[in-house]
Amino acid sequence: MTFATRFRKSIEYQVVEELSRSVRWDANRIVVNTDAERLAGVCEALAKAGGIFDSAVLSSPASTRVPQVCYAFRMPDLGLGVSVFARGKNITCLSTRLDAAAWDERKIKDLAGVQLDGLEDARPLLAHPESGWGDFAEAVSKNRQTVLKPSEAYASREYAMEGTGADGEFEIPVGPVHAGIIEPGHFRFFVGGEDIHRMETRMFYLHRGLERQAVGRHVQRILPLIEQVSGDESVANAVAFAQAVEDLEGIRVPERAESLRLVLLELERIYSHLADLGGMATDVGFYASSSQFLLLREEMMRQNAALSGDRFLRGVVSIGGVDRNATQENLDATADALASFSKAFDELESMTLSSSTFLDRVFTTGKVSAFVADELALVGPVARASGKSCDLRRHFPYGAYKKRAVCESMAASGDVLARFNVKANEVKESARLIRSEINQMPSGPTHTGEKRTGHGFGWGWCEAPRGSCSIFVRTDKGRISRLSIRTASFRNWRGLERAVNGNIIPDFPLINKSFNLSYAGTDL
Amino acid sequence: MHELSALLRAPRTDEISEEATDPAIRKVAALLRRRSGGVFSRSIHVRMVDAGSSNDVEVEEGLMNAPQVDCERFGIHFVASPRHADVLLVSGPVTLNMRRALEKTYAAMAEPRAVVAAGDGACTGGLFKHSYAVYKSGRVDEVVPVSVHVPGNPPSPYDLVAGILQAGLALDKKEAAKSGKS
Repeated sequence: MTFATRFRKSIEYQVVEELSRSVRWDANRIVVNTDAERLAGVCEALAKAGGIFDSAVLSSPASTRVPQVCYAFRMPDLGLGVSVFARGKNITCLSTRLDAAAWDERKIKDLAGVQLDGLEDARPLLAHPESGWGDFAEAVSKNRQTVLKPSEAYASREYAMEGTGADGEFEIPVGPVHAGIIEPGHFRFFVGGEDIHRMETRMFYLHRGLERQAVGRHVQRILPLIEQVSGDESVANAVAFAQAVEDLEGIRVPERAESLRLVLLELERIYSHLADLGGMATDVGFYASSSQFLLLREEMMRQNAALSGDRFLRGVVSIGGVDRNATQENLDATADALASFSKAFDELESMTLSSSTFLDRVFTTGKVSAFVADELALVGPVARASGKSCDLRRHFPYGAYKKRAVCESMAASGDVLARFNVKANEVKESARLIRSEINQMPSGPTHTGEKRTGHGFGWGWCEAPRGSCSIFVRTDKGRISRLSIRTASFRNWRGLERAVNGNIIPDFPLINKSFNLSYAGTDL
Repeated sequence: MHELSALLRAPRTDEISEEATDPAIRKVAALLRRRSGGVFSRSIHVRMVDAGSSNDVEVEEGLMNAPQVDCERFGIHFVASPRHADVLLVSGPVTLNMRRALEKTYAAMAEPRAVVAAGDGACTGGLFKHSYAVYKSGRVDEVVPVSVHVPGNPPSPYDLVAGILQAGLALDKKEAAKSGKS
């Protein structure tokens, strides 16, 4: 019996059909339409059937009065995604049954003024009360240039945070401006002595209204905006977006373009991970190691510029292919550079891991259990370090990954050391993938050349350096009417809150660096 | 053994000369010559604030400390607190949620101080000029006075070094004007 048949026969699937208005099976997805009151029930049944919560996003055109939401799940056994749609101003909240959806639902509430019945944490997520925002949902829908009303500026409304209430507990507020070279975010520690009882992150200082800025613009023209989601994941986000549009318009990308995309994606993974690995060495004070990671990183950035013309590999990916071809000499130079890079990297890795002072700090620090990884639907290297196999390149392959076997880096202990090992192994695997891809690079066009103007919605996904990124696009005559992005960082921040529990304050920077999430990619 | 073998290798820092192929390095070389003898010619302490960038500017700021660039050899040192800083390095666009933090950081700095706006977002508001979520048009100079603008998407580490050295010149001027008056 195939998985699909077994799934169709399962009691959970019967529940989904029972609660839905329609269930449609496509070649690459299942689309469910249901009512606002039944949405949570459908989602719960999908989760019980083995579905992994991916994201909950706004899906109606930005101009509609009654918002529509889309809750997306992945069914790893089926290799399919499920999109559950519901429309209404009042939606039964899912996060009371599935904690992973909490931030997604708060974001939906803020952006569209949707009432989520039963939402436990109703504090505003995107609009900080003390920053003097006016009516946020109204401002977003009208896209007024500024929603700050002078009389309201810096109202002293507080964003309440609560500790555990333990005796003698005190609070340490940190941020948004930190001591290092890092993005802004606020961390509130509730501590007893050195021990962290509880930590709460408060993000969205970098909320730039990115998703709304895309609305009304032509799909071909917003890749520069997508590349601003998170600087060091520019390619991954661009590829996810391009794939969403290609899915929607039915465009087939030429083989060579897919191969070139793979090379870019893996180059990005390498330079991204090098910062994390070096950062962990910095945070234990091991500068002999960290400065060499920085050395390698700068070398890779220069290699990026030599190959693509941009240190961040921006401006290459386009809808229907890639905009710049690479000459064989350039590709060979990249392969050569990677050969010597790999040698230096192996040496550096073994030097770092043979230092007892390093191991002493990272071993058993900042543990994320497999249970927490499941509960919060964590993604990327963080989940893989806790034993959750979740690499989209393997489970939901796209582009050139459909033809390539990717060795997924895994670890079980869920501590900082596990995350270090997972990321280090991913760097090696990326170098191997690039070199083998360059060896068998197909010739031919790099762009389809065909232009279509689709109408409808599409999902695109990509395994970015920090984990899976999902992008929802709805278009109307070739123009974006809704863009919703769920990055890996957005999903993993709450994992960090759990990872630091029971650790000591001086280990926080180290644990934070082992996650190394993007603040901009979360805040959008 | 690995640590020791590093000592035997040639230095990995880039050579700074006015004949270099990279225009940003040429600019740095020229600025270094102009700054010698100034009040702040020895060191500039920098505090960075990301007021809304996509983290690309922060990546490049981090790489200013990479051994190839090694910004400390030009006297540029990143400090933890604005109270220790001469220069505030701000990337943008300035979001509504970050505006107050930026103002407070600037207010915490002692005189003489200078602000460098780094990246297209900080200089012009970039792609977010018309967004509901940025303050006015997102330009840093709408929130705090800016001495040097460093455009780029993002500016390279050497562009940033040059921008900070230029801010050092602005600080020299401020000090000269002050001592002239007294």
